[in-house]
Formats: sequence, C-alpha cells, structure tokens
Amino acid sequence: MDSVNLNRRQFISSATAAAGGVALPAFADPAEALIQGKAEHVISIWLGGGMGQIDTFDPKRKGDPKTRKPGSYYDSIDTAVPGVQLSEHFAKLAPLMEHVTAVRTVNHTVIDEHAAATNRMHTGRTISGTVTYPSIGSIISHERGAASENAPPYVLIGYPNVTRGPGFLGPKAGYLYTTNTSQGPAGLSRADGITPGRQSRREQFLSVLQKNARPTEESRLLNYDAAIEESLRLSGPEFNRAFEVGEEPADLRNQYGGEFGQRCLLSRRLVERGVRFIEVAHNLNFMNGAGWDVHHEGILDQHELIRELDTAVSALITDLKAKSLLDKTLIVITTEFGRPPEFDARGGRAHQGKAFSCVLAGGGLSHKGAFGETDELSKNPVSDPVGVPDFFATICAAVGVNYRKNLYDGDRPVPITDRGNPIVALFS
Amino acid sequence: MKYCRNIVCVLFLNAVAVVAADSPLVAHWDFDGDDPIDLVTHGGVITGEVGPMAPEFPDLPKGNKAIRLDGKGARLMLADTGKDSRFKFRKGDPITLEAWVNLDGHKSGAPMYIIGKGRTGDPKFDKDNQNWSLRVISSGSGPMQLSFLFATEPGSSTAPWHRWTSNAGFAGDDGWHHIALAFRFGDPKSIRGWIDGKPGDGRWDLGGEAGAKPMVDDDAVWIGSALNGSSGNSFQGWLDAVAVHRAVLDDKMMAARFKRVGGPRVVTPKPQPKLAPEVMPKIDDVPADRVLFTMAEGFPSETRWMNEGETHDKEFMRWVGDDFMLPRIPLRHDDWGIRQSWKVPMLVRMVADVKLPPGKQKIMLRARALGRLWIDGQLVARTKAITVQPPNGEEPVTPVREPTLPGLRRAGYHQQEVFGEVTIEEGKTSRVILELVVGGKNLRPETGELCVAIQTEDGESYSVLQAGEREGFPLTDEAVEPVLAGIEESIAELDDLNRRRAASSRKDFREKRHAAAKEWASANPAPPVPKIKGISHPIDAFVRAKIFRAVAASAGTDLKQAEHFHGKILPLLSENCFRCHGEKEKGGLKLDSRERLLEAVTPGDPKDSELIYRLHSDDEDERMPPTGEPIAKNEIALLEKWIEQGTAWPSPPVDAAEIAERPLISDAAFLRRVYLDTVGVPPTFAEADAFLADKSQNKRERLINRLLKDERGADNWVGYWQDMLAENPALLNQSQGSTGPFRFFIHDSLRDNKPLDQMVTELILLKGGKYEGGSAGFGMAAENDAPFAAKGHIVASAFLGIELQCARCHDSPYHSTTQRDLFSLAAMFERKPVGAPKTSQVPAGFFENRDRKALIKVTLKPGEKVEPKWRFGKMTGMADGGAVDRLMDDPKDSRERMATLITAPGNQRFAQVVVNRIWKRFMGVGMVEPIHDWEGKKASHPELLEWLAHQFVANDFNANYIIGLILTSDAYQRQAIEGNLAASPELRFFSGPERRRLTAEQVVDSLFAATGNQLDIGELTFVHDGKRPLSNRQTLGFPRRAWMLADLNNERDRPSLALPAARTITDVLEAFGWKGARQQPIMQRNLDPNVLQPGILANGTLVAGLSRASNQSDLAELAVNAASPDELVETMFLRVLARRPTAEEQKQFSAALETGFADRVIPAVEVRPIVNPEPLPQITWFNHQRHEATKVQNAVARRVQKGSPADPRLRPVWREKFEDMIWSLINHREFVWIP
Repeated sequence: MDSVNLNRRQFISSATAAAGGVALPAFADPAEALIQGKAEHVISIWLGGGMGQIDTFDPKRKGDPKTRKPGSYYDSIDTAVPGVQLSEHFAKLAPLMEHVTAVRTVNHTVIDEHAAATNRMHTGRTISGTVTYPSIGSIISHERGAASENAPPYVLIGYPNVTRGPGFLGPKAGYLYTTNTSQGPAGLSRADGITPGRQSRREQFLSVLQKNARPTEESRLLNYDAAIEESLRLSGPEFNRAFEVGEEPADLRNQYGGEFGQRCLLSRRLVERGVRFIEVAHNLNFMNGAGWDVHHEGILDQHELIRELDTAVSALITDLKAKSLLDKTLIVITTEFGRPPEFDARGGRAHQGKAFSCVLAGGGLSHKGAFGETDELSKNPVSDPVGVPDFFATICAAVGVNYRKNLYDGDRPVPITDRGNPIVALFS
Repeated sequence: MKYCRNIVCVLFLNAVAVVAADSPLVAHWDFDGDDPIDLVTHGGVITGEVGPMAPEFPDLPKGNKAIRLDGKGARLMLADTGKDSRFKFRKGDPITLEAWVNLDGHKSGAPMYIIGKGRTGDPKFDKDNQNWSLRVISSGSGPMQLSFLFATEPGSSTAPWHRWTSNAGFAGDDGWHHIALAFRFGDPKSIRGWIDGKPGDGRWDLGGEAGAKPMVDDDAVWIGSALNGSSGNSFQGWLDAVAVHRAVLDDKMMAARFKRVGGPRVVTPKPQPKLAPEVMPKIDDVPADRVLFTMAEGFPSETRWMNEGETHDKEFMRWVGDDFMLPRIPLRHDDWGIRQSWKVPMLVRMVADVKLPPGKQKIMLRARALGRLWIDGQLVARTKAITVQPPNGEEPVTPVREPTLPGLRRAGYHQQEVFGEVTIEEGKTSRVILELVVGGKNLRPETGELCVAIQTEDGESYSVLQAGEREGFPLTDEAVEPVLAGIEESIAELDDLNRRRAASSRKDFREKRHAAAKEWASANPAPPVPKIKGISHPIDAFVRAKIFRAVAASAGTDLKQAEHFHGKILPLLSENCFRCHGEKEKGGLKLDSRERLLEAVTPGDPKDSELIYRLHSDDEDERMPPTGEPIAKNEIALLEKWIEQGTAWPSPPVDAAEIAERPLISDAAFLRRVYLDTVGVPPTFAEADAFLADKSQNKRERLINRLLKDERGADNWVGYWQDMLAENPALLNQSQGSTGPFRFFIHDSLRDNKPLDQMVTELILLKGGKYEGGSAGFGMAAENDAPFAAKGHIVASAFLGIELQCARCHDSPYHSTTQRDLFSLAAMFERKPVGAPKTSQVPAGFFENRDRKALIKVTLKPGEKVEPKWRFGKMTGMADGGAVDRLMDDPKDSRERMATLITAPGNQRFAQVVVNRIWKRFMGVGMVEPIHDWEGKKASHPELLEWLAHQFVANDFNANYIIGLILTSDAYQRQAIEGNLAASPELRFFSGPERRRLTAEQVVDSLFAATGNQLDIGELTFVHDGKRPLSNRQTLGFPRRAWMLADLNNERDRPSLALPAARTITDVLEAFGWKGARQQPIMQRNLDPNVLQPGILANGTLVAGLSRASNQSDLAELAVNAASPDELVETMFLRVLARRPTAEEQKQFSAALETGFADRVIPAVEVRPIVNPEPLPQITWFNHQRHEATKVQNAVARRVQKGSPADPRLRPVWREKFEDMIWSLINHREFVWIP
C-alpha cells in the first residue's frame, strides 16, 4: 500500500549518505500544521507516451544518437531563473520560468506498460483489485465541487478511460469529455444538425409527454426528472458557449498555436466558467506518430512536440496572468514516466521511471524554476526525490484540499493520496 | 514404428522391458515402437528416423529408429503421477541420466534440453522448480558440453539454481554420441559425466556446490525442451535411448554403452528435411452436391507444407455447406463444452465435386495465409505463408483495395488474392480441394473471408463456386452478404451443437449431484407455506403473512412511543452501535434486542449504564463508537431519557393501509416490465399489439413461460455476471487487473440453462482457453500479485455473501473474517500454499502514533504461507469432510473441493445467496441486503428465503425455475414502490417491487430494438489480419448486444487507437452506470441519477443516429408506409414505450405529424439516391503510429458522428418532425424506468 513512500524514505537515507549529507528534502512534516494554498482551479496537461526529461525540463550534457553516446538530444538554454536551464526548444517558456517549477525528481516503479503507468500517474496508486482508486481530477472535484453552479466540476479534453475516472467516488466526481475543441462535451452538446428550432420542438414534444405522465411522488423518478432539467440547462447555450473558442481574438488564438494550444485556450475559458479541474491531453500523435513515446525514429520529430508544448503553455501562462487568473489556476504537466539518457539502436529512447520531470506553474505557489536534482545524466535523483503521492499532495495543498484526510470507499478509509506530503518549499 | 497423432496425441513407444517398481531403471525410451510409458508429443516431432546402428555401432541393431526434434519447442511430455511418482528425486537419491544424441547444427550459447523434470513453464508451479535435467550446451563455437541443472527447495540454499558443466565436450555435428551423467543429490562431489563412454570431470558453475534439497513438485517430465517450449531451450536433432535410473551407474557400465568401429569421425552433411511431394489428397465420404469442410490440428508448421515423414493430427471436426466460402472457423470446445484454444497451426480443407463449365477456366482464390487449391489433381493456385511479423505501429497504412473488376466485392483486409487456370473436360465433374493452414505461433486461428471463385463466361465478373451442379453466385457485395449471413448462422448452429454434445459428457456428474440434492431436500424439508385464504402462490402467501403479523403486533403498541423508538432511538443505536454489536457480538456485547441490551443498560438509570458511560468517555481507548467523531450531546441526551423512562422496545408501528399490497399493474405495464426483465428489450410492435389485444385469462403466465425459454434471456444476464465476477478483458496488453473474456463462458452457460451448481463449479475449475472465452479467463488478474486471493474474494462475495475485501491486507474490522480465511481459500483455489504478498501489507507506519488501538489487525506474518483449507463451515453450514468426496471427480483436488463445498446441496448459504440475488434482480431489493455481505444481516423474509432456496436445490439448481416462481407471483406484478430499500429488514414488506431503472445494457439494447436497428459496429479488436495471438491482442468479436462491449483501452490517448463507433455505445453505457474496466467486482452499480444520463440520450451520437429515419431504415419504412399520423403515433408509442398513447398524447402528436403528412414522400423520380462514401483504409495496432492513421481515424470519427444519411424519400421538414417525436419518446423518463 505504502511501498512507494517507504521506498522514498529508505531511498532518501541512502541517497543522503551517498551524496555526503545533502540536506533533507523540503517536505511538509506530517506533525505540523496543514499547508493550504489559495488556488481555485487546476489545468492538468497530460503528455501521453512518457516525456523524456533529459530532452525537456531536465537537460544535461548533449549526447549523440549516432554513436549512442548518452545525453540530451538538444542544446540547453538559460531561463529567467538563474541556474535553471531548459531544452533549447522551450524558447518561449524560458523567460517565464519564474512562474514555473519543474519537479525533476518524480519517480515510481511502473515502466513496462503505458496503461499501468498512466494509471499510476492519474490515481497515484498501483492497481489494487479490491478498490478502484479515483483520479486526481476526481479527487479535487469531489472535495471542492464546481466553482459555479452552471459548470461541471471536471472536464476532460481527451479520451475517456478508467484511470481518469472517479473510481469509488462515483459518477458525481467523474468527468465530461470532449475530443474536439470545436465541440462541447459528449452528452452535453447538441448533436449535429439540431438547430435551436428543432431543439425547442423536441422540448415541446417532451413536455407533452411529461404533462400527460401520471403524477408521482417517487423521489427516484423526480430526481431523474430533475436531471433531465439540469441536462437541458447545461447543454443549452450558456455553458456550451465556453466551447466557442472562435470567440477569442485571432491574435490570442494564434499565440496558443495549433489544436493542442486551442485545447489550452479552451481550458482557460472553462476555468472562467467555473470548471474546477480540466485535464488536457496532448495526444496529437500525427506530429511524430508516437506522441511522447519516442522509441526508434519517433524521436526525430520530438522537437516539434516540445515546441508545440512550449507555445501552448507559455501562451496559457501569459494569458492567465493577463486575466489575473494565474495565481488561482494551478497548471500541472504530468506524463507516464521519463526516458533514459541512452539511445536505442534506432536512435530513440526507452522508458525510465526512477527519475523524471513533472511541472507545476501558477496557482499562487512560490516557484523556483526547478525543484529536486538528478545526477549528471538525469538517471537518478540526488536530492529531494518526490514520490507520486508527494506530487499529488502538493496539488491538493495548492488548491486547498486536505491532503491528510481519508476518503471512504464504503466503510473503508482510503488516504486521499497514498500518504504523500506536499513540497513545502513551494508554499513559503 | 507407430506414430499416432490423435486428438490427444499419445506416443506408444517400444518397451525394452516393463519397468518394475523396485528396479533402478525408472524409464527407458527407445522410440522403436510401443514403449510402456506414454508420452504426449507436441510440435515438430518426427518418428521413424534413422538411429545409431551397426555397422558403425555394432551393439545396436540395424534398423534402429530414433526421433527427430525441430528445436522450436518440439517435445515429448509425461505428466507427473503425483506423490509416488518415481520421477521425483529428493536429497540422498541417486540419479543417472543418459541418451544417444545427434545434433542438427550448432546452437551456440543456448542450452538444449535432453530430458528434465520441472521448469516447463506451467504457471501452476513455481518458476524455480527444476528437479533435475540433462542438457547439452556449447559456449560460442566450442564443443558441446554436458550440463546438469536443478533448483533447490526455497530456503534450503542461498542460491535457487545449481548448474554443473562438464569440462570435456564433443563436436556438435559429426554424428551420434552417447552421453550420460550421474549424481547423488546432497553430495556435490558425487557428480560425474560420460561422453562416448569416457568419464570426465566438470565444475559447479552456477549457484556453487549444491548439497541442498532439490525442488520437488508435480510438474511434468519433458524430453527435448523446457520453459513452454522456448526455442532457446529446445533440442534440435535426433535422440535415441533416453533413460533415467535411480542409481549411480559406474564407469564400467558406461564404457560398455558405447562401441564404435571405423575411422575418425567425419562431418557428413545432415539429410535436410524434404518437402513431401505435392499431391492432391484423397478424401473419402464427400457428400454429393455439398462442400465438405474438415479441420485437423497439429499441423507441423504455418510457414510451409509438410515435410516427408511429418503428419498432423487426425481430423478433428467436419461439417458440410454449399459454398466455397468461409468467413471463420468454428469454435473449439473442450470435453466439457467450454471454449478452448485450437492447437495451431491447423489444416482446413474445403472439398467438393463441382460441375464446372468445360474449357479453359480462370479461378480466383482468396485466402489469408498458406493455401493451395486443387482441381482434378492439378495444383491450380497457391497463397503464401505469413512469415513477417508486423511492427507495433509503424506498418504503412494499407490503401483501400480496388475491386479486381468493377462491381466485384473487394478482397478482405490483408487477404491474398491469387489466380490460376485449369482446363475442364466436357461433361466431367471436377474434384475441387482447397487446403489452408490456419493459425500459428503468432497468428490467431482465423481465416479471413476465404473464397474460391471462377471467372464468368463474359470475363467481366467472378462467381463463387458451389458444390455439384449449382451455378454459383456473383462475387458482389449484394450477393455475398446474405450468403455470408447464412453461413455465419450455420456455423453458429454447429458451434451450439458441438458445445452441447461435449457438455453432455457432464450428464452423469450432474445427475449424481442432483440426485444428492434431491436427497438432501427431502431430508431437510422447507418451511411450510403459510395457508391464507384466497392466496395460492407461495411467494404471495409468505409476503401476506408477514404483513399480517406486523399489523397484528403493532395493534398492541402505544403508537407515539413506538414512533419515537423506531424513528429516533433505534436509528441512533443502529447507526452507531450495530456494526459491531449487532449480530456480531464484538466484545461479547450485542445491542440489537432489549434483552441483550440490558447487559449494558440499567432501565431507569442511565448513570448506571455502561452504554452511556462509554458514549461520554473522554478516554480514547474507552469511548464508543471507536472511530470518527463522538455522538452529539443532544443525541446522547435522547438515549439517556429513553433509558430513564424505562427503556421501552415496542414493536414497530405500521400503518396497515401503507404496507398493504399494491394493486396489480396493467397489461401494458406488465408487458414492458416482463420483457425487460427477461429478454432485456421491449416487445416488438407486433408482440405488444398481440398481447394487449389478447383477452384470454392466463395470457401473462403464457407470456412468462415463453419468455423464459427465449435465448435472449442469456443476453440480459451476462452483464450481471460480468460485474459480479469482475470480467475485464483487455484488447491490448494485459494490464490493470485484466482477465480473459470469460463473458463467452457465461453467455454459453446461460444459453444452455446450465444448472447454477454446475456453472459455478465449472467457473471455479477454470476450464477451457484463457483467451478464448473459457472459464479459465476468470483465473487471470493482470498486475495482481495475489490473483487467487482476488478470485477467492470474488467467489466468496458472489456466491457465499462473505465479503473478504478487507482480509486481503488485514483482518476485517467489522467482520469476523480474517486474512487466514481469505488466503486459505486462495490456497484451495491455487492448489498450493499461498501467502499474503508484499503489496497486501498494511504499512508499518500505520500502527504508529495512534490515539487508540487500531481496529484492524494483521495476523498473517509477512511471507507466511497458508495451507489450502475450507474455513467457512460455520458460516455456510457446509463442513469439509469425506461426505463431499462422493460429489467430486477428484477428491484430492483442492480446487474442485472448494467448488464442491460452495455448490453442494448442504451449502444453504450458496442456495440462499443465489435466490436472494435473483429476487433482487426482479424485486429491486434483496431480502438480505447488501446481497454480497451477509454477516450480521437479517433477512426481511427468512422463511420465504429458506423456502425459495429449498426449491432451488430440489429443482436441480435451475435459476429459471426460481425466476418463473417470482414472475408468476402477484408480488412481482404489483405497482412499483420505493422504500423497500431504505426500510430495515423488519419493516421491508415487498408490498410491491422496488422501482427500478433500466440497466445500462437494457437502455442501449432497447434503443436498438425500439428503433429497429441492429447493433453493428464491426469487430471489436485492434488486429484485423490475425497477425498476433489472442494472448497479446484480443478480439471480442462482433458485438450484437450491449454486454459484448468492453473497455476501449485508449490509455495511450491516441486518436488512431480510438474506436469511434464503439465509443458511441460505451458513452451511453457508462452514463448509466456500466463499467467496461472492472478492476474489481461490482456488487451494486451506482444508480444515482446524473446529468449525463438524460444528456447522452438527448445529445449523444448514438441516439442521434438511431432516432433518424435514415436511409432504408425501419423508421424510414414505417414513415413511408404509414396510413395515417394516428397509426404512426400509435406504432411508435408501442415500439418505444410498449403502450398505446393516451388520448391527449395521440391528439397532440397526430396533429403535429398531420401537417405535411400527405406530402411527406418525395415522388420517386425526384429522389436523389444516396451515394455511399468511399471506404477508408483499415487502421490497426500495427499501423496506428503512422501520420495517416490518425487522419483516417479522425475521418472515421467524423463519419460516425454524422451518422448514416437520412432516407431521401422523405421530405426533410416532415421527417425531422417525426424524428423529434421519436427523440421525445426516448427522452421521456418512462423510457429508462421499468413500469
């Protein structure tokens, strides 16, 4: 249950010894007062496939895929935070790093299977067989609800799957999803060709049936009728207008870039309407075929993916800041696992779970550009290793969710994260 | 030399002598004829090959035979006979292993197994379980050395593996050598090897000198391979005279073994296997004018035709048809009728005598893999073997294939199309034979759309061959599709037939069990049915009796006092105390009756009451309840006052009128309810119309009887079983608790109305193919390090009402069950001792720094193994013992014992849990709730429950019998109510069934049924050309009903791996509480309404498409042919809601449809026909990483979203109105609620 955490403690002691007494990590002490940030929303960007930290947020000396010399694929550049470097393809994000912390020492043990690692990085747990754990999006939605009664708490811009779902928390903590920014979520946006005229005729027909129905006092039937009403309201123009990204100024849309950028822009619009948690999948695998899963030749166009991420995230930070939303909106970037500094026989990279980068931005945190340090080829953490539960606890704390509390699966208490502690350094 | 490849191919090999039990010779195989010890062969084993013989080896007779193994997993296998097996060697035992070997080529670095026991890769056993083995191995280009490998018993040695390698070696390619090796277990110095009779030393080069106990278990003895037949461990070449001795043979004996004459050895080229000559096979018993299909398993290779001397298994199955066309092969069943894997590769033949037109003819063959077509002895066409494994994602997208000739049906995806020519003599009937190799190591056993066609006389088309004088039919979509549907139907019939025939082998077993059940039932009579005037149905009598009793009891009580007690006091006690002090009696205290409560309470004196003291206590260790916040002060005050006033415990107040039975429902309501409850879909228009018009007295009973025989009943139940048993198949990698698709086992069993004791037994015995849909798939649990504990938990909650969820990691806080209970059950299931894995341990930190003692206890020590044992005798009333042996096939098998103890007639818990589950399905609430966790729970109607369970046992565990009892009762046919669920068992009366919503599957199936559409989203798979085994990439077939959907597995988040058509359906299913990814059993689906439910019906793609009067759809036909708006409105009400419209509804909807009705159909000349869009390329796992794959699949998504086009015959203005009416019927709450 808690093997990750125990491992982390054991790991810390050995790492400390090895490094000759590096200071203990800056984690919140469980005995001390609860840390609670002030963020109100989360935009969580998911990089499916496994973003290689050494080619992005934790660059090291350059390697060579031809001679299979381990190292970064690209040159590094300086950023607004002294001493913190990024891959050269983050030209737009580099000047904004004062709002960003790349957590470079995230680690876990699931690397063989994308689906399993996706589960780990959404629920913070391994598969149990006796309980289906909720995703972090569902946890935040469950704890904080929607920020407006005219919005759902949790929207997914990506493909639905169980690891993004509410697990034992039930459908109220679940997501609405869309795979297309020009369209509202499945079930709450009108089907193609249904004009307002047709919709009103439909509702009129429906009211004929409702008026003729036998009156009832049964709560189940009345509750379902209430759900019909609510669904008609949410699928009406007010909430669905959020999905009209075309309303935004052309300049701004261009700044965000392509389809992925538009997803990020849509996320901001959803934040404005009161959605609590938005997960955005960066899944456009036509760019290099594999997405971030850059085995073999998949790596050849990896820089395109990085640049797209750079454009979209920097635009999102700038835009949120301009609208005074940055402090109340935590941006999170996560991925299944990282990738090793070594190259495979065809120049790509395999998987690495023992050290990789996840990113936090905005959300009113005291950003540091980077947190945690890996060794000279980013193969292992050398200071401040951050377990997945700790990373999740940090997200919880940032949005004012009690990361120490238990959730209940029926009678069974389930710690909200797998007993993680937030990175206290980000809350000073 | 006989070489008999039967269905189970057993080699009878020649005996040197029958081995006596006390002889040091354990076994000796000469491979010359009928050896006394049967070996099962697998893979490329060729017998009758030339062995070592005179003159080179003068001691060996001329004509000595040997066997040849292909080095790719070919092997001979001998099952262990159990405890007394002479092949088991323990510490102190002497062993000598010897064999004649002749290597075929040089496999450097890879050990080649001559013979060994254990390490077969059988998952039933520990991985490190080699008892002993003789291998040869070479390092690099060096000589072949002898290698002895064994594993030690866990804990007996620091290293699990020990290996000895000889110093000397022999050349690998210069003919026959004799090798031998002797060892006394426990004495590492005793080892000695011989090559060609000469002794030699060696070294322990792995795991050090091995004096520890060897690992001994019941794994098999294999000759020629190990580890599931991996090529890296397989012997390639010839073997003869393999022997095992229970003695250490000496140098003298060994020297005598090898005598060779002649000069130095020379490397002679090995005779390379030669392909057998290609001759058209002779096939007897081909029925006149029919196509004969035959199948044989165990074909030597999928990449080539047979070599000389090779054979395949004898014919396994045959059937006849009319056409040279085949979309799929039939299912394979095991001897119990459970789906099983085919032994691949296999040879499929289509044979017929065909009257072909005379003269030169052009013939077309479409086939997926290696195939050849014969006509009159002539080889006319051949297709190639599949030899290349496609990559994971980077295969180029295959463009849509152009039809070979205009109008011709396109060949299937990655289907080869080849042509040949043949000249037919005038007046002659030709023998046509197609041979096809199907399946293989990395190939699914699929044929693709196989066909043989002949060019038409005009050269412009092809016509599919048919047997005899039939003309054939054109190879066009229009002609082929109905034929394919017919073939599919006949193969499905064949599957049913084969399955039921095989299942009849269980008849004796079943009869034995059911005779015992009847015996039990008469020895243990059911509670008597209350005699109540005017009530004939036993269920109604039990229900009424309880109502009578409650009314009578409440008559004597002070209503105000009773209301206070039952409204305020009892809920307080129940909420805060009964978890532990209900039927469970924690700390020896029970509080759920006045009598027992008085042990902790002094009536009239709250201060003297332990209960009150504990509620007030500030001491964390004393205060009750033990977890959570203390009870509020004002609530404690209420309790105090109640105690002070005398602690009255009156009977519950009931209002006779309120709990009286509700009126029976109307025919229309009954019709819809009973259809949904049995076959899972509403009646058709005709069925509804006929039933409503029927005036006969017993029409409800007749309908019930008819529906209970309807095979669609199985469809309606599968989802329930999938939830209960956590069925969770993965289309891609096994991950996240995935299992095999044992949905098919469930469906087959339900269709055959298998008695539930038998079905549950077969489930637990994990039979058939894991990946093919056998119950074996239930045994899988990906990413679970204690799969059998997980399965034990599922079985206990499903069939025994015992919830062991907590026991995985610790003893249950609110139950009496312990970790030991769960792991003993897991051990019975796994057939070996099992311990709790690391991930199932409560973290050490949990117990530190706590205010009070933790409620949970960890009682199993880490690493402690628990023996198989039945620990539920007390809970179930079924104790283990010799008495159950007579109900079993194999009383020694702990897994069968577990299945038997669960399903035996004496296990009243099983019978009651099952009938309670059935009851809940139809009545909405169980007599016991929750249905999976009975500990400490009372039944609302204990006698009825017991009576029904008795009926179940006495009537052969036939679920339909119980369902029939329930459906024919008035209790079922009354108006629905709410409140049964919330009521305590005592106050649950079933005055009517609980209001129920349609299940998710019923919603989807009803949508299709009501709109007259067939669910058809293509094949649910990511592999469309069969080029991966099922274990790696599943297919779940072509879903026809909602239960056949599954989790779509797009955790990779790739548009190219999205399945848009399937998604439209899972969107609806998921909104209504279905889960495709069942990581754990779902005891109760979430039934809370949420905004997505009406949302997905109102706006979702599925309803948008189904409610459309699309081209040539049922709805379009209805609209075009309707005589009047009235008729159309009535029809649609009957179809969607199974009732006629009310007068007001009729009026309003008819009026709306009246406008434009007369003019709704566009004159035929003005209709613009629909042009079907061009087909798109197939996107699969193999090509999904290509840019184009994403583009194509996005285009597919757009098409799915758009749906099929509207029927061009209807004017859009009117048509949309009609569609909006249908939409409103679907979106009315009535559609999703059972009346």
